[in-house]
Amino acid sequence: MRNSLKSWVLGGVAALALSTVALPALAQTKTLKFVSWQKDERGVGDWWASVIKEFETKNPGVKVEWTKVERGAYADTMTTLFAGGKPPEIVHLASFEFQKFADQGWLEDLSPYIKSSGLNLDGWAGQSSCQWKGKPVCIMMLYFGNIFAYNEEMLKKEGIAPPTNWAEYVAAARKLTKDTNGDGIPDQFGTGHETKGGGGQYLSELMNYTLDAGGRWTDNNGKVTINTPQMIEGLARWKEVVKNSLTPRDLTAGETRQMFADGRIAMKLDGPWLYPIILRGKAKDQIKIAAPPFNPPLGGSSNILGMASEIPADTKKLVWDFIAIATSDKFQTDYATLAASTPPSPRAKTDGAKAATPHFDLLVQTAQAASKAGVDRIPKGLEIQYNEFAKMIMEESQRMIIQDLDPKAVAATMQAKAEAIQKQ
Amino acid sequence: MAGGRFSLDLARPSRQHWLGYILLAPAVLLIAAIIIYPLFVSVDLSFQNVGIARLDQPRRPFTTANYERLFTSPDFWNACWVTLKLIVIVTSACCLLGLGTALLVNNRFKGRSLARLFVAMPWAVPEVIAVVIFAWIFDSSFGLMNWIFLSLGFIDKTINWFSDPTAAFAVVATTMVWKGYPFVSIMCLAGLQSIPDDYYAAARVDGANAWQRLIHITRPNLRPVLGVTTILVMLWIFRDFSIIYVLTGGGPLKATQTLSIMTYEQAFGFFRMGYASAIGVVTLIICVIAAKLMMSRAPENL
Repeated sequence: MRNSLKSWVLGGVAALALSTVALPALAQTKTLKFVSWQKDERGVGDWWASVIKEFETKNPGVKVEWTKVERGAYADTMTTLFAGGKPPEIVHLASFEFQKFADQGWLEDLSPYIKSSGLNLDGWAGQSSCQWKGKPVCIMMLYFGNIFAYNEEMLKKEGIAPPTNWAEYVAAARKLTKDTNGDGIPDQFGTGHETKGGGGQYLSELMNYTLDAGGRWTDNNGKVTINTPQMIEGLARWKEVVKNSLTPRDLTAGETRQMFADGRIAMKLDGPWLYPIILRGKAKDQIKIAAPPFNPPLGGSSNILGMASEIPADTKKLVWDFIAIATSDKFQTDYATLAASTPPSPRAKTDGAKAATPHFDLLVQTAQAASKAGVDRIPKGLEIQYNEFAKMIMEESQRMIIQDLDPKAVAATMQAKAEAIQKQ
Repeated sequence: MAGGRFSLDLARPSRQHWLGYILLAPAVLLIAAIIIYPLFVSVDLSFQNVGIARLDQPRRPFTTANYERLFTSPDFWNACWVTLKLIVIVTSACCLLGLGTALLVNNRFKGRSLARLFVAMPWAVPEVIAVVIFAWIFDSSFGLMNWIFLSLGFIDKTINWFSDPTAAFAVVATTMVWKGYPFVSIMCLAGLQSIPDDYYAAARVDGANAWQRLIHITRPNLRPVLGVTTILVMLWIFRDFSIIYVLTGGGPLKATQTLSIMTYEQAFGFFRMGYASAIGVVTLIICVIAAKLMMSRAPENL
């Protein structure tokens, strides 16, 4: 009985001692929520993981809760989180959607943090797009230029040299689109574009042709400039490619990329993210990468990193620490190597990336060419209405193809509808 | 305090109904919290010019602009027309197919259990998986349907199933019928099994053929079940989102844009939650009226 009492007392003392040590430690644990669609993406996902690891090492007791949300459900999820008053502290958004969140006042003005940390954003690619009502509400994480990838074996088989302009490109696409097994269904395509899915991707695919024809959705003042000879020519090119099924129809961007990587599509215009997919495809040894046959190449801002405005001040400081790590020279250098993409920072060292990604210089060149030409997927003056604008362009382009309409009439309709959207 | 002024003697015959209220209260409160409150918020939002709604923000001024815009919008009337077409086509097809298969598997034959399993199987398949299967079947470049049609000589060039408004509508309707008919079949089978065999035996004695037995015995006895089932199928079509969204996203050219797809697009695509709420409220009213009309036509024992 005495022993039993003694063991109870000792146990109680030990439990008390443990609780005095462990409880404050538990209480110190803080969690920052970080939602991203890039979690499982090879390359860029690994880079985010390395940023999180570094942040957690530098901030003991602070954990980053990293959650993946599919791109298709991303805007809905983020809107619900913000509207419900439970936003992720670290905000990751596509560059075409952050404006809606900034307009609601949900993104923190980063200028005090940029100033106090001394982060130099001079020459930071695409950073001007992060200005909202004169304040920087985000940091641009990628500004890219499209590359041109082609299946060398398929082109050689048809005696075609890699195209260097629209005329050569469309002639090659016509020649390379065929029914190879004789079942009456074309199973090899000259080129590949997404024609099913969201308006944003459709708009990007279409822009490959309108930009080369000299067309722009809006001018530098945000005035709609669709009803122009250049845009009409661009729309006519798109119609030629899609109506003649030089691209497989009704596929998503992911499916089209996979078909190209597997050798069912001969030529593909796409961003830096195409390369990791090529490496996993059946035709990886046949694929070559070159400068796009179109000038200027499609390019633009891709995704941003920001801070939720409605969080406590001490949490904001932690979020800035996270952003500071992601934007540091070291991690921008790692970004080039791990993500095989052009880092926005001008101070990133790209020697390692050049060794790992043979066409890295080309990525830099196309990004610079797009930037120099002032190309972006989000038209100036239509940032807030981007989703509606992109949907309208997709529907009118589909109408042009389905009802075989004259691109001239379609451009006029698009112009009127875009102006109406802008006035809302 | 026992027997005091505030004691509640539920055993007294005059207070026995109180027990019912007390037992129902948690469920009523829960329903009020998860259905009535959001409904109230939705109706309230529909009378405000709201982009992204937040409950902690002050209420915006009252306006009927959302409804004015809605009733003058060709997109809204198009969505109503698409929804109506889907309801008529899918409900009719589901009822015919469901009743037909129920009559079939109600007979005694070898392998009946297996046949019943196959009839009910689409009901058990999750909607998204069903959509993925149909998306592959109707794929324009590599789909099964184009290959079958070409092999049988029905077509001489491939159909772009999701780029053609009529074809896309047909694909959506077919997928919905495939997913929806087993429910009708299961309900009808249950209804058929509740009809006494004596009715059929008596009819046979009177010389009634199979068609006459179907019209004069099966049909009237199944009406209550078929009535409820039709309403439930109709309401399912009204609210179904995933089949259309994953297959076509409401396109091409809004050929498959129903009221539920339009609501989603306005709320989460264009961030017009006030306007989207107005569409939701109108959809609810249409659903209630349609269900009421169907119920009023049903027999009294429904």
